[in-house]
Amino acid sequence: MPLHKYPPKLWEALKLKQGIYARLPKYYLKSLEQKEPTPVHWRPLGVQYRANPKTGLKERVQDVPIPIYYPPQSQDGLWGGEGWITGYRYANNDKMSNRLKKTWKPQLLKRELYSEILDHKFSITVTPRTLELIDAAFGFDFYVLKTPKEDLNSKLGMDLKRAMLLRLARRDKELYPNDPVKRDTIYSKYKQFEIPEEEAEWVGLTLEEAVEKQRLLEHKEPEPQFKVLVEELVQELQMKKLSEPHVTEKK
Amino acid sequence: MWSFGRFVLQDLLRHPAPRSFSLTPAQHTVVVERWWQVPLSKVGSPPRLYPRRHRVYKMVEDTKHAPKEKMELILTQTVAKLGGRGDTVFVRKSVGRNKLLAQGLAVYPSPENQQMFAEELRLLREGKPDQRLQTRTGQLTVELLKRSKLNINKMPCDEFQLTKEVVCRQFDKKLGVVVPPHALSLPFEPIKDLGDYWCDVTVNGMDTVRIPMSLLPHEDQSAIYQKQLKAQRKLEAAERASQAAVEEDTVSDADQAHDGKDSLTSPGHTQQGSTPPPSEN
Repeated sequence: MPLHKYPPKLWEALKLKQGIYARLPKYYLKSLEQKEPTPVHWRPLGVQYRANPKTGLKERVQDVPIPIYYPPQSQDGLWGGEGWITGYRYANNDKMSNRLKKTWKPQLLKRELYSEILDHKFSITVTPRTLELIDAAFGFDFYVLKTPKEDLNSKLGMDLKRAMLLRLARRDKELYPNDPVKRDTIYSKYKQFEIPEEEAEWVGLTLEEAVEKQRLLEHKEPEPQFKVLVEELVQELQMKKLSEPHVTEKK
Repeated sequence: MWSFGRFVLQDLLRHPAPRSFSLTPAQHTVVVERWWQVPLSKVGSPPRLYPRRHRVYKMVEDTKHAPKEKMELILTQTVAKLGGRGDTVFVRKSVGRNKLLAQGLAVYPSPENQQMFAEELRLLREGKPDQRLQTRTGQLTVELLKRSKLNINKMPCDEFQLTKEVVCRQFDKKLGVVVPPHALSLPFEPIKDLGDYWCDVTVNGMDTVRIPMSLLPHEDQSAIYQKQLKAQRKLEAAERASQAAVEEDTVSDADQAHDGKDSLTSPGHTQQGSTPPPSEN
């Protein structure tokens, strides 16, 4: 006999179907879907079937991802998808030897990264992999804009992305106020990433932030009762006055 | 101070460690794999992981030990020892990121940038003479040519004359500068007599440099002759020294000493003059 109408595992998902959660914009709800990030710390086979290296016979294989722990501080930097691998190793690399606890952590560097769109230098904690990815994307702005949410895997990165997209959508004149030519070249350089402003405002928000934003959008100041009643009375009196016959006195 | 046994190590403990000490050393991106193979699951269902075995990992690769590759950049300005504007260079990543990109001396070789700089270089080469700019190496060549002078020795043959080809070869031989014949203008062509002349060299079709040039009598460059010459000079020097000593002893007149020196040096001149005759004949 079931204890609940719905199993507790589904409650989180069901929460999004009702109340203010259901009124959130569609593009935001779509961005909440969990996706598999690009494998960083393990090598996927990438095939369904392969020849067994020993026997040469065809066999089915499957990729089993290695669980990675992303510590909270990874959200304040750009780790390029890296995280902590917590697990065990064997002493002396010998399967018959002792099992020892082991955590592999990424190397963290503090770097000044300059953003063209925001025209600002940010001091960000990065890993060597992030620097490689930035080089491969031909620039910091391109890296932040091109990389999807699950690969960026950082609150800071998504905040930067939202700020850049908002600036691109608004095309405001705050960027290089004295140099309109440079401003235009930058806006045309990143034209491919432009999205409408309403969408850009919701990029990278956490669920709590999004709910708060929605609440503020829907919020209306309560109107005092006496104001409503006074207006009604005034209208009534006007009607009454109009319905009365107009009498003009003769001198 | 060290007598207070209890407090010996207190000072060491009081200072916080300069860096956080962690048991796992800093590494670049680590790639791991499982020691134990995970049993194959049914299609569509997640694999069952055995908690004790399937969290034991083996390090496959650490990119820290991967060979260091160089990065490709396009220079926007002239950088010493690297190149001029528009040149594609391969530099170490640290240099590229911390110096060239940080100071705006270079940009990433994205397709747009590559196209832009290729267009610019094409204009430099094929554009009108007013729009062209001298390249950095061109400027260096001009400066070198301004400082240099060309000395050409006559060859020991009868119909020797200086033509453009000869001068070009001498440029390559003496100064190490390759001058194609169309970049050289020789006003006194052909030259047969000894003396001082000049020629004009045009670098990249823009800057013209006038270079003094002199045609000298023939000089035997063979090792045997050079050895002889050296021995002769040594002998002369010794003679001169003995002469000076004699002069000091006798305390003779300055005019006489001068005459004596002249008489000593003249034979050398005559000898040098006597060697080239084959070329002069």
